[in-house]
Amino acid sequence: MITALNKDLKPFEDMIMSFAKGELKPNVEEHDRYPFGNLDAEVIEGAFQKIYDMGFLGILLPEKFGGIDQGISALCMLLTHIAEVDASYALIVFTNSMSQKIILEAEAETIAEKIFPNANTSREYLIAYPSFCNPSQIVTLPQATSSGKSYKLTGRLDYLVLGNYSNWAVVPAQVAGKPGYSFFLVDLRDKAIKKSAPIFSLGLHACPIIDVTFDGVSAQIIGEEGAGEKYFDQASKIMHVVTAAISAGIMKGSLKEAMDYTKEREQGGRAIVNWSEVRMILANMAVRSKAADMCVAETCQGIEAKIQDWGIYSVSTALIVHEMTCEVVNDGVQLLGGNGYMKDYGQEKRYRDARQVQALLGLAPLKKLALIKEIIA
Amino acid sequence: MLTRSQVKSFISRYPAFEDETLALHYAPRMPKAMVKETQEVIAIARKFNDEVARPLSLELDRKTHEDPNYFAPEMVKKCNEWGFYTMWVPKLFGGKGYNMPSLSYFCEELASVCLGFANIIAVHYLGISGLMMCGNTRIVKKVMNDVRKGEETGDPCIIALAITEPTAGTDVEEVDLEDKGRITCHAKKVNGGYIINGSKIFISNGHTSKWTVLYAYTDLKKASETTVAMMVKEGMKGFTLGTHENKMGQRICPASVLNFEDCFVPDELVMLDPEKTRKFTNQKVRDIKMRHIDYIVSITRPAVGAFGTGAARGAFEAALKFASETELDGRPMINHEWVQCRLAEMYANVRLGRLAYVEANTANQHRGVYNLLQMKPMYYYLKHMPQAYFDKVLSPLLDKPIGTWLLSKWYLDWQKPKDQHVCTGLGSVAKFSCTDIGVRNCQMALELMGQAGMRNENRVEKILRDAKLLQIYEGTNQLNRLNVFKSLIAPAFPKAKVFED
Repeated sequence: MITALNKDLKPFEDMIMSFAKGELKPNVEEHDRYPFGNLDAEVIEGAFQKIYDMGFLGILLPEKFGGIDQGISALCMLLTHIAEVDASYALIVFTNSMSQKIILEAEAETIAEKIFPNANTSREYLIAYPSFCNPSQIVTLPQATSSGKSYKLTGRLDYLVLGNYSNWAVVPAQVAGKPGYSFFLVDLRDKAIKKSAPIFSLGLHACPIIDVTFDGVSAQIIGEEGAGEKYFDQASKIMHVVTAAISAGIMKGSLKEAMDYTKEREQGGRAIVNWSEVRMILANMAVRSKAADMCVAETCQGIEAKIQDWGIYSVSTALIVHEMTCEVVNDGVQLLGGNGYMKDYGQEKRYRDARQVQALLGLAPLKKLALIKEIIA
Repeated sequence: MLTRSQVKSFISRYPAFEDETLALHYAPRMPKAMVKETQEVIAIARKFNDEVARPLSLELDRKTHEDPNYFAPEMVKKCNEWGFYTMWVPKLFGGKGYNMPSLSYFCEELASVCLGFANIIAVHYLGISGLMMCGNTRIVKKVMNDVRKGEETGDPCIIALAITEPTAGTDVEEVDLEDKGRITCHAKKVNGGYIINGSKIFISNGHTSKWTVLYAYTDLKKASETTVAMMVKEGMKGFTLGTHENKMGQRICPASVLNFEDCFVPDELVMLDPEKTRKFTNQKVRDIKMRHIDYIVSITRPAVGAFGTGAARGAFEAALKFASETELDGRPMINHEWVQCRLAEMYANVRLGRLAYVEANTANQHRGVYNLLQMKPMYYYLKHMPQAYFDKVLSPLLDKPIGTWLLSKWYLDWQKPKDQHVCTGLGSVAKFSCTDIGVRNCQMALELMGQAGMRNENRVEKILRDAKLLQIYEGTNQLNRLNVFKSLIAPAFPKAKVFED
C-alpha cells in the first residue's frame, strides 16, 4: 500500500504504525500459541479492545452509524500495516468490515443503528462472519423458517470467524422453499446455538474461528429474502482488494525480516546478503512486494474514483497478490534456513498466514472462473 | 547407419548417455529379488500407516502444540517394536539387510501420511550412513550391536548425526566454505582421545538417540583439513542435551541442541581424523572429507526426495478425497474439468518426484555406495546366507584393522570421482526437485480445498507445515542447486568455478 498516492492518509498511517509496533508486535508469539483462538487470555481480548478504542473497526461505516467513513484506501492501509506485524488482527478487522458491508449493501439501517452506535466494547461491536466462504458454494446452508416477522435458524454453519467472541453474527441461511440464500443477524448469546471449541487451523491463530449449530435460533433478516448472493457479490467486490492488502502486509513483513537476517547471518565468511543467489531471491521477493503495494493502492484509487470495471480490478488484484505472497513467504522462510522454520522468528507464521488469507471469500479457482465469466460477458 | 565407434563417440560426449539415463542403462543389472523385497517393504509401510501413523499423527501433532516441550519418544519405541531400526542394516552388522533403495519407497509411503514418523525412522539411517561412511568396521559393529540389542530388549537404540552449528549450516556441508566459516565445535587432541567443546543445533532425534555421530575440528580455521568424526553416547560426561526447537512442523521428531563442555571422547570412538585418513590413502584429507560428506548425502538426499514425493502424494490424496466428496454447482467437484486438470498435475508431480529419487538411487546402486551390495552375486549371497554365518565367520573380521582398512579403501579411496559426481549430483536433483514438488502440491491442494484445507483434521495444513522443512535440511535447496551445477554441469566446462562468487 503506497500512502504517497493519498497524502491525507499520512497522519492516520503514523498512528497505525505506532499501534502495530507498540501494541501488537510484542505479543505476536504469545498470540500464536495453542489453544488457538482461546480468548481467556487477557492479552488477546485487550488487543481487540484497543483496536476498537482506536476506531479501526468503523473505517467503512458511515458517520451516522458512529463510523469514520474513511473509505477503502484507509482500510487497506490499516490492514497492510497490521498484517505486516500480525495478520490475525487484520482478519478480525476484515471480518467485521465484511459484516458491515453486507448490512450496508442490504440497506438494513435498523440493524446498523441497533448495533454500532450503542456498542461500548469490542465484543458488542465486532460482528462474527464466515469470512472464508462464498455462501453460494456451500451445499448445505442452515435453514430459515419464517414465522411472521421473525425467523428461526436450524442447521450447521462451519468456520464462523469470531464466533466465540462477538455478541452478534451475520450468517447466510436458506429460507425454506425459496431459491437462493439470505443473510440474517443472529445473537450469539442465544442458548439454542451450540458452539464448537476453537478450530485448529493453519494460521491467523489469534483470531478465533468456530463451527456453530443452530437449533431453532431466532434471527433477523438482513435486507430481502433470497438476496444474499447479490449482497455478498457487492460486498465482496470491494472486499477482495482488502484481502490483497492483508497479503501485501504479510509480504512486507517477510521481506523486511529476510533482509535484516541476511545482513547479519554469515556463511562462507561473508554476510549471506552478499551471496548473489540470496540477492536474487531477495530481489524476487522485493519485486513482488513492491508490485503488490502498487496494485493495491491503484485498485483502491480506482474503486474510490468508481472507474469502470473496478470490481474486476479488485478481484484480479486479490488473486495475483495472494499467489505472489505464497511464493514470497516460502522464500522468506528459506532465507532464514533452519531459523526460519522455528517459532522464534516470524517467517514460519507468515508462511502459514499467507495461505489462510488466500482462502478468504471462497475458493480461489472459482473466483478466477467467475472473473473470466464477467469479462467474457 | 553409424559405425560402432561413431555411436560410442556420440553417446560419450556431454551429456553422456551412461550418466544421463541410468535407469535404462543399468536395468538389466538389477537383481530381480529386489523388486519382491521392495514390494514387501511397501506393504509393511502401508500396514504401519493404517495401524499407527494415520490414527495417531494428528493427535500427536496436537499434543505437541498443547505442550511445546513434548515430542513423541513412545513413537520411537513403537517403530522399534516394528523392527524398523534394523531393517536396512546389512546382515553383516546384525541387521535384516533389506536393500537400501527400498528405504526410499518406505519413506515415501510414511511421508504421505506423516513426515514426522518418516523422520523418526529415516534420521536413524542418516546416522548409520555417517557411521558407515567413515569406514571403521569395529565401531560400526559395536554401535550396530547396540541397535540390535535395543530391538531385542524393547529399549530402542537409535542414532543421530550432529554436524550443524549455531553459526554454520551450509558451511559444514562444503569444504570450500568450511575454512571461511564461523565454526565453533572444537576437538582438542589429548592423550587417549579428544576433548570436545562447542554445540550443535537442529539435530533431528537428538533427544531420543543413544548414539550420535559427531563432527568437531582440531583447528577451527582449517576445519576441512582437521575434521574429527566420532561417536558420542548419551550420558557421556560433558555431553548434555539442550532444548529442542519449537518448529512449525514435523513436531513429533525433536530438533535438538547438543552441548559439549570438556567432553572426553576416547580414541576407540574416533572414526575418522587426519591421522586415520593417512593410514589408507595418500589423497588430501580435505578431499577425503568431501567424499565422506558426498557419500552420506548421496544416500540421504534421495531419501529426502522420497519425503517430498510422499508429501506431494499426501496433499494429492487429500485433495482427491475432498473433490470426490464435495459438490459444486450441483455435481461432484471431481467431475469439473478444471478440477481434473489440477488433480492430474498433482498426480504427475508425484510420479515425476518418484522418478527423480529412483534415478538417484540407481546411481547409488551402480556407481556409488550400494554398488558392492547390489551386484547380483553379492546381493543373492548376502540375502541367502544364514545370519549365523555372518555372526560367526565374518563378524570377527570386523574388529581387525584389515576390516577398517578395506571398508575405508572401498568407500573413500577406490571409488571414482566421476561416479561420485553422478551420485551426489542426482541426489541433489532429487532432493530439491521432490521437495519443491511437495510444497507445490500442498499449495495446489489448499487452493482446491479453500477453508476445508485450513482445518487440521483434513491433514493438508499439517503436510504443508511439515513439508517446508524438506526444502531446508540436508542442505538448503539453494545449496543443492549449486551442488548439481558443481557435480553434473561444471565438470564439462573447465572454466566454471563454484563458491567463488
